[in-house]
Amino acid sequence: MRPQAIFLIALLAISPLVWAKKAPVAVKKLPATVKGAVQAKEVSLVRVNVSGQSYDYFRPWQKKAPFSKRALGAVLAHGQVLVTADLVVNQNYVELERAESGDKTAANVIVVDHEANLALLEPAEKEFLKGLQPLDLALDTVVGDKLSAWQLESTGALVVTEGIVTTIGITRYPADVADFLTYRMSIPMQYRDNSYTVPLVKNNKLAALLLRFDPRTQVMDAIPAPIIAHFLKDAASNSYQGFPSLGISFFPTRDPELRAYAGDTHKSAGVYITAVEPGFPAAKAGLAAGDIVTAVDEHEIDQNGNYVDDLYGKLGFGNLVTGKAYVGDSITLRILREGKPLTLKANLEHRSEDDYVIPPYNVDEPPTYYVLGGLIFQELTRQYLKEWGSNWEKDAPQDFVYLDKFQSELFPNARRKVVILSQVLPANSTIGYDDDSYLVVTKVNGTEIHSLGELAAAVKNPINGFHVIQTSDDPRQLELNAAEVEADAQALQKNYGLPALQRLQ
Amino acid sequence: MHRIRFFICALALVFTTGTQAQPNGQIRNSVVRITSTESEPDYRAPWNSGMIGRGVGAGFIIEGQRVMTNAHVVSNSRYLTVEREGDPNKYPATVQFVAHDCDLAVLQVENPNFWKTMKPLPFGAIPALESTVSAYGYPIGGERMSVTTGIVSRIDFNLYTHSAIDQHLAVQISAQINPGNSGGPVMQDQKVVGVAFQGYSGDVAQGVAYMIPTPVIRRFLKDIEDGQYDRYVDLGITYFKLQNPAQRHYLGLQDDDRGVLVGTVIQAGPCAKALQTGDVLLAIDGHRVASDAFVEYEGERVQMPEVVERKFKGETVKLDIWRNQQPMSVSITLGTVWPYFVQGHSYDIRPRYVLYAGLLFQPMSLDLLEAYRISELRVRHYFNNFVSDQIYLEHPEIIILTNILADPINTYLSPFRYDIVDEINGQKIGTLQDLARAFEQPADRFAIKMIGNGPPIVLDSKKVEEARERIKERYNVLVERNLDEQPPAKPAVADKSKI
Repeated sequence: MRPQAIFLIALLAISPLVWAKKAPVAVKKLPATVKGAVQAKEVSLVRVNVSGQSYDYFRPWQKKAPFSKRALGAVLAHGQVLVTADLVVNQNYVELERAESGDKTAANVIVVDHEANLALLEPAEKEFLKGLQPLDLALDTVVGDKLSAWQLESTGALVVTEGIVTTIGITRYPADVADFLTYRMSIPMQYRDNSYTVPLVKNNKLAALLLRFDPRTQVMDAIPAPIIAHFLKDAASNSYQGFPSLGISFFPTRDPELRAYAGDTHKSAGVYITAVEPGFPAAKAGLAAGDIVTAVDEHEIDQNGNYVDDLYGKLGFGNLVTGKAYVGDSITLRILREGKPLTLKANLEHRSEDDYVIPPYNVDEPPTYYVLGGLIFQELTRQYLKEWGSNWEKDAPQDFVYLDKFQSELFPNARRKVVILSQVLPANSTIGYDDDSYLVVTKVNGTEIHSLGELAAAVKNPINGFHVIQTSDDPRQLELNAAEVEADAQALQKNYGLPALQRLQ
Repeated sequence: MHRIRFFICALALVFTTGTQAQPNGQIRNSVVRITSTESEPDYRAPWNSGMIGRGVGAGFIIEGQRVMTNAHVVSNSRYLTVEREGDPNKYPATVQFVAHDCDLAVLQVENPNFWKTMKPLPFGAIPALESTVSAYGYPIGGERMSVTTGIVSRIDFNLYTHSAIDQHLAVQISAQINPGNSGGPVMQDQKVVGVAFQGYSGDVAQGVAYMIPTPVIRRFLKDIEDGQYDRYVDLGITYFKLQNPAQRHYLGLQDDDRGVLVGTVIQAGPCAKALQTGDVLLAIDGHRVASDAFVEYEGERVQMPEVVERKFKGETVKLDIWRNQQPMSVSITLGTVWPYFVQGHSYDIRPRYVLYAGLLFQPMSLDLLEAYRISELRVRHYFNNFVSDQIYLEHPEIIILTNILADPINTYLSPFRYDIVDEINGQKIGTLQDLARAFEQPADRFAIKMIGNGPPIVLDSKKVEEARERIKERYNVLVERNLDEQPPAKPAVADKSKI
């Protein structure tokens, strides 16, 4: 009986905040509490069953053993279901299930955004969600509000756990490309292995979705409704654009010596720009390292990089870009350059995973590879490094981790990839090369290599009948007999069960 | 503070030849017990004199009224005594020569009484596999000499853990190994066939101990004949087996299982001008190099570096190489390759540092990284690739901001800890000396640019000056810099870790 009790308390706590005019509506939505057991029908949740396979980056021609995940989805307007993107990563098949009846139908992934960790599903049968009241978004959550986590028992009964929002700030999301608005909550939730998408509800409206949860400390980070609203608005347009970014890194200006050095002798505000990614909005707007950004649009930035948000108070100014703005918007940057004020206009763009030298996430796409006489060439990606497990930053080849972590510094201005000799399949042509894995390829047959496509092209021009592969580290060169490689290709393919010797995009 | 520090890196072994009851007879007149009081440098408070500790090892008498032992027995020592079996006296000793790269040292004892009954031990050859040897020493610090015995298990190149960067011939023996045996003689037929020096702690492997064989010992003794130790020499290259037929054909080599491929040529090494990446080494001093990097040498098949191992600084080696399908010969004057030293342990030196505005700057070294347990990716990358990526060409020393002695002057600078100094006021910083000199320049302000994307550290020199005495006093800093690694007056040391 405890869940219902909590549910009641939650509603009571919230009700004083509800406008009197709206009160009848709220009451109308509450029959569940009166009746006793809450049915899934009323709470607008469906189960989402996902089966999928991740790609095997060590054997890039194959997929790993299938997995299945079970989670919840929040039913929204227009017959769509909202889940987190990590639920549908590498999915082969997605299925929706009515909690109460157990009816099932296939679903399609309409939009997925791995950076914001959100995805939108649609049932194959349009009528499937009939009878479920769509959830509206609660966009007004502030620190101190109580949100309820909704989970379902196997019977379909609702399990409600209440938590309190302790902090609202911007944090790095798991895709590790940008900072987004996040609610941090303290909540004693029962965490189930399959709890991928846990809706957090306020006043019967969707306030957030679970992002990550630490059962030990009972601290949860949640994707807040404003980010969900941003995603949904974008998703409703014809082509999904994604969240915008400026392409800068910055440092606080708390240190008066640094401020003085940057030429700012009066004001004590703004952030020091440490790097500007060439080719991205800030660089195009003319921003440079060493500038101090003092304001974004009408919002003053303080020395820690915060602006004053109408709803939340002090908040990292990244939210003005990723949270409040859309691709195609233009924002005004007020800056100090050597003490002189300037105003710059930046037209916001989305930075896609392919804009990175070493893509930070490239799920849902088969990894590319090229096998030449037993040498496996691949492009270096974060996903590849993650094959070393959760401790990959320590366990993966350290030269690769270094390239990944410092990529913007090591490859400024570079629209390129890093091609690696990943593994060596023992074969006649690779005798003596068994230990030559995890090397960065610099040249093939005399041509500099910046992508797997370039490698595939260079392989067409052997030098005097040999493929000459040069690497940035020892042994620095490997040679293969081109005719022999050609002749042995089929046998190699058969021997190691390779469906194909290459996949380029 | 009695500390037995020879556990990990040193294990001494004693073996008696099984057939005779008293095979090595008068050994008690040749083996000594060595007690070393050492002061280990404190990299975290480099202005302090360091921690005082004591360790026990073994040694033995050799020709010329000298005591031979391991370098690690006497490293960082401030005071040394030797004791004889059956003599209650402790005799002060001094280090005459120490070779940290092959873990050997020679001591002197002034007191003539010590030498009265002592007899030098003669050296033998490399013992045969499976033959029995006896090791003598003072395991786990005991007062009486101990003997253990075992057989010769393997003869191969091995890492000498004392420096952690040197590989030489080492002989593996199957004996009980215990700390305190270090430096003791390993005997066969009344001759020294090795010096016990390292082994594994029991949880890694058992019955695996190592001794320094006589070719290494003889080389050391020959090196010091001129009054100084010059270290081992090295070619300063990496090389790779040439076993792939296509690669051999591409290079224009015959199918004669001959030659190794040159990978990296260290620019600070002796081959910098003579060799290049992609060369094939065909012969060394006329000895044919097989494609698996072995050479025929004095009737035995040994690894290629063995040829260089026997040579001394300033000697030459002739290399027959194959470049661009053509044979060539080059002559190399051998020397040390200093950038490697950064990656190894150093001893008998004082940590070098500069303290400025409460910011402690120290050059990267293995000992420094271990003292601070630095795990920052960038520092580890610079350390691991210091030689292979030739980082030393631009930064002969990697100057790390290792610590910040908190003070109002540096209150905002904690994000910079473990960053590497790149430039000061636009001037490239390659060494600690450069850094010290940069701070001496007249300037109102110092902007210290660290490697990577980040803002500079900005210091107002007037304010730094005001903070100086305050910081020194608060943190009990006696001296604000040490640019010289020479230790203060102490037993003669012939070995420096920098050229």
